[in-house]
Amino acid sequence: MYHSSTQRKRWTFCNGQQLERCREEANRNFHSKAAATGKVQQNDFRLLKPHEELAICKHYEKRLLDFCSVFKPAMPRSVVGTASMYFKRFYLNNSVMEYHPRIIMLTCVFLACKVDEFNVSSAQFVGNLRESPAGQEKALEQILEYELLLIQQLNFHLIVHNPYRPFEGFLIDLKTRYPVLENPEVLRKTADDFLSRVALTDAYLLFSPSQIALAAILSSGSRAGINMESYLSESLKLKEDRTTLAKLLDGMKCMSNLIRKYELPKSEEVVALKQKLEKCHSLDLLLSTNSKKRKGYEDDEYVAKKPKVDEVGKPIVLFFFFHSNCHDKSNTATETNFCTHSYSFLCCSGRIHISCT
Amino acid sequence: MEAGGGEAGGRQREAIAAMAMDMDDLGCPRCKTTKYRNPSLKLMVNVCGHTLFEVVSVQSENSKVTTGRSSKNLKRGRGKECESCVELLFVRGAGNCHECDTLLRKSNFRVQLFEDPAIDKEVEIRKKVLKIYNKREDDFPSLNEYNDFLEEIEEIVYNLTNNVDLENTKRKMELYQKDNKEVIQKNKIKLTREQEELEEALEIERQESERRRLLIQKEEQIQQILKRKNKQALLDDLEKSSLPASLLLAQHKDRSTQLEMQVEKPSQVRPVTFSTGIKMGQAISLAPVPKLEEALYTYQPLQVETYGPQVPELGMLGRLGYLTHVRAASPQDVAGGYTSSLACSRALQDAFSGLFWHPN
Repeated sequence: MYHSSTQRKRWTFCNGQQLERCREEANRNFHSKAAATGKVQQNDFRLLKPHEELAICKHYEKRLLDFCSVFKPAMPRSVVGTASMYFKRFYLNNSVMEYHPRIIMLTCVFLACKVDEFNVSSAQFVGNLRESPAGQEKALEQILEYELLLIQQLNFHLIVHNPYRPFEGFLIDLKTRYPVLENPEVLRKTADDFLSRVALTDAYLLFSPSQIALAAILSSGSRAGINMESYLSESLKLKEDRTTLAKLLDGMKCMSNLIRKYELPKSEEVVALKQKLEKCHSLDLLLSTNSKKRKGYEDDEYVAKKPKVDEVGKPIVLFFFFHSNCHDKSNTATETNFCTHSYSFLCCSGRIHISCT
Repeated sequence: MEAGGGEAGGRQREAIAAMAMDMDDLGCPRCKTTKYRNPSLKLMVNVCGHTLFEVVSVQSENSKVTTGRSSKNLKRGRGKECESCVELLFVRGAGNCHECDTLLRKSNFRVQLFEDPAIDKEVEIRKKVLKIYNKREDDFPSLNEYNDFLEEIEEIVYNLTNNVDLENTKRKMELYQKDNKEVIQKNKIKLTREQEELEEALEIERQESERRRLLIQKEEQIQQILKRKNKQALLDDLEKSSLPASLLLAQHKDRSTQLEMQVEKPSQVRPVTFSTGIKMGQAISLAPVPKLEEALYTYQPLQVETYGPQVPELGMLGRLGYLTHVRAASPQDVAGGYTSSLACSRALQDAFSGLFWHPN
């Protein structure tokens, strides 16, 4: 339940300023890390600023929702909500320049499918990407690379409470205890719209899902011209408790503000930012020669050698998985560590010898 | 050491001799075959102390020397030869010892038990003497006289062994025998009685151990039979009775553990009575077990902070009219244990959870 969840305890923040501060800190961290490598100075113009990062995030969030809406088989709303939440949480503490959002977005959806028990095989998942099979393979590889990192950055708090079930609960309650409103079903459509709009904002990180659901109902009621405040005071028994009522109403106002203020970044801006982002990534700022195969394993002193053969699909992927396993827990991460394993196997195109140095 | 020990001593002597014999050294003086060449060769000694070798069969090992005639042969001489030689020489029943040329009888050859034939000879003489001079310490009024008596015996034995003053010694012996005929007889009887008593005691011991062994065997057999019966009974029960299998198994398990405990108890009780005669009582503490006074547990229902309005209880939902607005459960769902109130309750819980909560 939400009241005992980590979402309430750890991932609900007081106000928007706190969120801003988190993002700024993530940005600053990346700047210092980049400066430490010596390739760029601190506050170099080539690096993104926090508001630019935010714009990129917004754009990719929209892309996430679009991707989920055309997903086959049809993805339930809770999965979409979970994926969106993961994305938001991830970029609260990490910088876009360090991990490209296009991969993280896919990883979020993939992980959300698993957590929410919406079982899609990985092949089926990448089948939804509009790319060539080779591109799909590559994408899958990247997704698997970043999966553990994502889980880590979420601090392993994977359960996300979405406002959709509370919304249903409120509808049931309205139908049972609020005879003033004859047909609460009329509220459903606009409330759904409200919920999908609020998913793009930071509201998930600031309010509890039941509050969001109630806000959806109240706003749709007010849009339909029905005053639902009597529901709050009568049925929810808040007539005596003025402070709580006030706070509730405040929160709802805040949410409506958020929705109103929300605007998707313009496409030219997005294009420019994307280019800048690509340049950042191509600067190869934090990638050393010892690139890690699977992100997130750094703590295990796990070192994998850079794969030499990139083009071929699955067999090579499997081979490197196997090969890197034989380095597991055995080496310390030093530059002078050389592996002398060499493998040779028959491939459809002839014999391939792979040796590791 | 007296004649009473003679019989037991005989058995021992054979054993000792068997160990003392060396294969190569001893050889028949006549035909020169050693034990090495013919391992079943055995030394035969005659009264004159010389040896001959013979290929021995089992029975002749246990032969004992006849008593009566040997005293005559003591005078005659010594002889020691192997049996093949013995047979050759004494084919007529009597012949000369090839070393000392004394006349010997065949019947007087017997298996040598000691390495030195002289010792064997002395042992034989001693046996004979002690048969006559068989007084005991109790028969003498003082220790000194007993010692004098013993000394006399030793002297006689020495004289006879080394052929010193044979005639006088023999006369002395006969004289003593005539004088103390009754005493000798009495002592002989006493000796035999003692021997018998010893034998009886041994017999009793042996019988006791036998009895114990049989008892244990019997008990084991009984136990096994019981176990088999039990197993059979279990199988029969499983076949016939209508009780569930687990119950039957539990019953039988109880029965078998009971049986084991019964069998164990008698075997435990016995060591108590056998130990040094002192009966050790089993101290059973009959002090009452102390009562532990504790506060009774009273059920307190769980209080969970939901930060929101209270949700009606699961059972009340129907009465309050919530269930009309929830999709009804199909028969398949109900079979699995699902009711529509579950879904309704979950939705309401989610709706009200955290509604009044604000982070700060």
